[in-house]
Amino acid sequence: MLNIDALRDFGANVDEGLARCLNREDFYLRLVRKAAEDTGYEALKEAIDAHDLDRAFDAAHALKGVTANLALTPLHEPIAEMVEPLRRREDIDYSAWLIKIANRIAALRALVSE
Amino acid sequence: MPNTIAKINPENGKHLVLVVEDEEINREILAEILSGEYDVICAENSLEALEKIETNASFLSLIMLDLNMPGMHGFELLKILQDDSTLARIPVIVTTSEEQAEVESLRLGATDFITKPYVPEVIRARARRYIELAEDRTIIQSTERDVLTGLYYKEYFFHYAEQYDQYHPNVATDAVVTDIIHFHMINERYGKAFGDLVLKRVAETVRGIVSQSGGIVCRRDADTFLVYCPHRDDYEELVEKCSVDVRDDFGNEAHIRLRMGVYANAEKDIDIERRFDRAKKAADMMRGSFSNNLTFYNNDLHKKELYNERLLEDVYDALREKQFIVYYQPKFDITGDAPVLTSAEALIRWKHPSLGMISPGVFIPLFEENGLIQKLDDYVWREAAAQIRAWKDAFGISVPVSVNVSRVDMYDPLLVETICAIVEENGLTSADYMLEVTESAYSDDSAQLIRTVKRLRELGFRIEMDDFGSGYSSLNMLASLPCDILKLDMKFIQNTDNHVNGARMLKLMIDISKYLNMPVVAEGVETDKQLHLLKELGCDIVQGYFFSKPVPPQEFERFIRERIEQC
Repeated sequence: MLNIDALRDFGANVDEGLARCLNREDFYLRLVRKAAEDTGYEALKEAIDAHDLDRAFDAAHALKGVTANLALTPLHEPIAEMVEPLRRREDIDYSAWLIKIANRIAALRALVSE
Repeated sequence: MPNTIAKINPENGKHLVLVVEDEEINREILAEILSGEYDVICAENSLEALEKIETNASFLSLIMLDLNMPGMHGFELLKILQDDSTLARIPVIVTTSEEQAEVESLRLGATDFITKPYVPEVIRARARRYIELAEDRTIIQSTERDVLTGLYYKEYFFHYAEQYDQYHPNVATDAVVTDIIHFHMINERYGKAFGDLVLKRVAETVRGIVSQSGGIVCRRDADTFLVYCPHRDDYEELVEKCSVDVRDDFGNEAHIRLRMGVYANAEKDIDIERRFDRAKKAADMMRGSFSNNLTFYNNDLHKKELYNERLLEDVYDALREKQFIVYYQPKFDITGDAPVLTSAEALIRWKHPSLGMISPGVFIPLFEENGLIQKLDDYVWREAAAQIRAWKDAFGISVPVSVNVSRVDMYDPLLVETICAIVEENGLTSADYMLEVTESAYSDDSAQLIRTVKRLRELGFRIEMDDFGSGYSSLNMLASLPCDILKLDMKFIQNTDNHVNGARMLKLMIDISKYLNMPVVAEGVETDKQLHLLKELGCDIVQGYFFSKPVPPQEFERFIRERIEQC
């Protein structure tokens, strides 16, 4: 079940995320739930698979901002890392990051759906 | 209006902030962070944002703007805001995870830049600070700008023009003075509201054009605007572009034309205000011309300016060394069979040691512009009084002399005392001394002027209204004004030569003065024919080249001798 402890276990910097949401737990959890439902992760993977680096950058960039704001560190880290080569539109192998992201979003979604 | 101070919501005392962010989560967080202190509205993209900005332009205190958004990029929105003088006043804080975009954001007019993730305390502190700063700036702007047109007031304009030079020392600049042709007629014909609309339209048009090249504009007074801008060659085009058709909702319509004086490639080592004086001199060249509406300050004007400067520098020496000579032009009573000398008018000449004889037509308008005329008048008053005394002593008769009293003298609170003292010092009475006040001074219709004239008349001085009919008088004014003698403008006399109507006008003027029991002096009498006409029409006194030009005192004495012989 999605709650503060579960998110902390997930690796989120809950204190920081909460502070950004003015320590309103319900508000923070609602936004995390919304972030988990975000289809941007799938959009990012599709764009990379299609070598559409413009679209991939846009998707990664958007996810970077949201995950940073919610302090979803396990998701934010790989996204922030891959944004840099994407900014330069480098057509490299992004799969390691994508796998990490896929696993972590799956874990988060599992928490949400419990 | 550009100088509207951002308003707070009267119901809760909060400022309005717009959050522009495509990511719903970010949008919600930001709105939540700000909603304690502000009324927050949100937009998902730049187009929606622009719509909300325009709708709330006068209430919006701050915009928080994301950059990477689908559709229009945040930079494009910034550019639109920057180019709109009304919207540009709203502070924008760019919020993005794009650290590299900071410089470009600030270049495009963003007030500040903060990166994601948000730090609530920082966001709130900056929001507060920038709203305060923007309000302070708006207050400053509202004091430095003309309320009607939103243009700078003169003082601030000169300050910013100087600042422009400091930042762009190598950019050639032009000083331009422009005004609306026959603006007073537009105001009179269509009313003040329409006149204001015209001023606003002209201000917008001129500013719109010159601000593109970094130029600034000020409304100096009434319908006169000043422009300071990088040098341009398209003034003819500019005059045309600024000549606009103005219509209002009530069906009033007028075609507005501008008159423009340009001092191009202005010298930067002369004072900024003087650069505009030069542009104005160019503009003044066009006064009365219907075909010409653009003039440049040129070499001839420059030479004239240098000449005038020389005169202004030399005037103090001239007064001290008595280079000014008072000439006297006789006035004759023509009511009898032969003309009889009645009095004289004192007229000044400048015998400059190196420039030779300088016409009063050159130096009097110049001295009138800067108040030096008072010193000159005082000089003439004293010289004339001493001369009346000298003639009295030499010939045993009094030849009253009239002296000119300039408009500015009439507002000198010590005028009456000064004149009385001069008269007394020379052992004269007020009957020996007459004062000529130009008709245009009377048209000020000032209570102070009327009081002064009344006081002088009570003391026995006779007041001549000079240049009567030269363009300012109204019959209504004439009936209520205190004066003793009307002195007809020369043009009335000269117009009688070839125009029947000229003679009729002259007759009318003389009839009016008879009706008011005021003697009439006709000046500028040059021919026998004119003299006979004046006599026929019942004019009392004449003055002019037909009898004598203004002459030095020694030459004048022959008229006194003739007069004595007549007796």
